[in-house]
Amino acid sequence: MKVPLGKLFLAFLEVGLVAFGGGGNAQIYSAIVLRRGWMNDREFLETTALCRILPGPVFANLAAHMGARLGGVMGGILALLGVLTPGATLMIVLSLAYFHLGVLPGSWAQNALEGVAAAAVGLILATSLRQVPAALDSLKAVLLALLVFVMYGLLHWSLLLVLLLAVPLGLTLYWKESRGG
Amino acid sequence: MAGSLPEVFLTFLRFGVLSFGGGMANLPEMSRVLLANGWLTRREFADGFALGQFVPGPNMLAVLFYGLSAAGVGGAFAAMLGMFLPGAVGAIALVWGWEWMQKAHWSRALRRALVPVGIGLSASTVLVLAQVSLGSLVWFVVAGVATFLIYRGVNVLAVIAGGAALGLLVGVL
Repeated sequence: MKVPLGKLFLAFLEVGLVAFGGGGNAQIYSAIVLRRGWMNDREFLETTALCRILPGPVFANLAAHMGARLGGVMGGILALLGVLTPGATLMIVLSLAYFHLGVLPGSWAQNALEGVAAAAVGLILATSLRQVPAALDSLKAVLLALLVFVMYGLLHWSLLLVLLLAVPLGLTLYWKESRGG
Repeated sequence: MAGSLPEVFLTFLRFGVLSFGGGMANLPEMSRVLLANGWLTRREFADGFALGQFVPGPNMLAVLFYGLSAAGVGGAFAAMLGMFLPGAVGAIALVWGWEWMQKAHWSRALRRALVPVGIGLSASTVLVLAQVSLGSLVWFVVAGVATFLIYRGVNVLAVIAGGAALGLLVGVL
């Protein structure tokens, strides 16, 4: 299906405006699949799964990929710009305020940020915990996750080294069962 | 210490290329490199991440804050471009390669392998975030309560706003 570029950009811009709190994928689904019918459920699920093996946030990758399917390379670029522009603009404004107004230790802004940072730790932890039952469904999955945590979280090895060790190991562990249809 | 624009772009391009496993998996690496470069202090790193929770879109947009600190407004855009470019190029290229990718044996094995790897990376991210963000016992408790609430399905924005309110309260007391 092909969609005019202007319409495409506006649709993804709308997603970018409302995708708060890590709910981006659901917002894309609602805007593109449910309300506009530009893609069906199956296509969306397959697309999301494939975007997980690319580097970067799945949400941004998903937008770029769907945009490109609906409007070619230009569509992909516009969709990505659409989902990033509102958040990026606000982030620049907040960052400029932070550095120029000077958030001093002990000021009210610093206190509020400390509270937000604590809640944000909770957000990342809760998101990971939700995935645990489905993700760590076998002994090898648990061991692989543990190994990555020890190398990266505890020993502070570089991410490149950790991935170079863990990804081939993971491919080997999952090679057999990934065969066939 | 300020960085030059190409330096900032290349630093974040490297993060962008390596950010497998979803979410903020490259955050521990980012904190290590950015602090070592002297582009940010620990407190600023934590504050930038906290500010990122207020904006719609991926919370990876916190890189704008880090780039701004390293090299001004130009640095902010250089950081964003570096972070999002690799994934976007791959995602657009996938339009022509997805049928092949879906059938390819290695791609299915990779998808499965990245799930536990992603959990290990996320656990590392939580640890590093806790180290840079949670300055005292109070905040450990708040983080614990926030985890519970979000896990139980309470609106994320409400919990984040609650954290801000609590921070203000603690400041007053």
